[in-house]
Amino acid sequence: MELMAKTAFGLYAVMIVGGSIMAVAASSLVRALVGLVAAMFGVAGMYLLLAAPFLAFMQILIYVGGVTVLIFFAIMFTRPGPAGTAPRPHPFRRGLQAVLAMLAPGLILLTVILKHPPLSFPIPKNVGPALLGKGMLYHYLLPFELISVALFIGMAGAVLLAWHKWGQK
Amino acid sequence: MSPLALYQMVGLFMAAVGLGGLVWRRTLVGMIISLELMLNGAGLSIVAAAQLTPADPILGQLGTLFVMGLAAAEAALILAIVLIVVKRFHTADAGDVSQLRG
Repeated sequence: MELMAKTAFGLYAVMIVGGSIMAVAASSLVRALVGLVAAMFGVAGMYLLLAAPFLAFMQILIYVGGVTVLIFFAIMFTRPGPAGTAPRPHPFRRGLQAVLAMLAPGLILLTVILKHPPLSFPIPKNVGPALLGKGMLYHYLLPFELISVALFIGMAGAVLLAWHKWGQK
Repeated sequence: MSPLALYQMVGLFMAAVGLGGLVWRRTLVGMIISLELMLNGAGLSIVAAAQLTPADPILGQLGTLFVMGLAAAEAALILAIVLIVVKRFHTADAGDVSQLRG
């Protein structure tokens, strides 16, 4: 059982690493989106390994099912027409900045993790969806209500923004 | 190495690669993809920390759930903004969108 968990972890880690690199480095945005989906599936698998199956399902429903479709719409809407601009090469300076942005927080936090390894249980705690629902309705009722307000404002704002005739007085 | 450190390293990798991609990408849509990558790494890190330490696991799982909800709202808003930018400037290139006037 131990070996199986390690194998599954390795598989999901490979999915996440490959998907992340593809999502950032692919020149075509659709391919980058496919990489993002692979990384999201890997994260869902890791939630399953962490004994949080409800979160794994929500990850697949919300991220893989919802956010991905939104980003795909954005790609399709912004696709340049036949007279669109050809992709320009990235200047060297921008690549240097990207590598710096990747390494600076990564190396600092990695040193912290390696120098002061966090103590942890060998086996994750098991909390079912029933307890999560109780938490939403008792202890964490205010954040639960606030997130619904934030979602409503977000949706209304998106519709209003897209509805408004910009630049026509 | 403890299991929590392994999960944290995977989450850290996603966040770092996402931050690099945010700088590297030129189009707005590519930047959203990097942003979602960073949010996923953060969620994984939160859940691992809540499930593998004496912290409250319900708090960790609900927190990640709320992060997912905010990410969905944010993606919808960014789609609307990208649509307006493309309508106005006829490009989704972040470098070309430098005019701020109404």
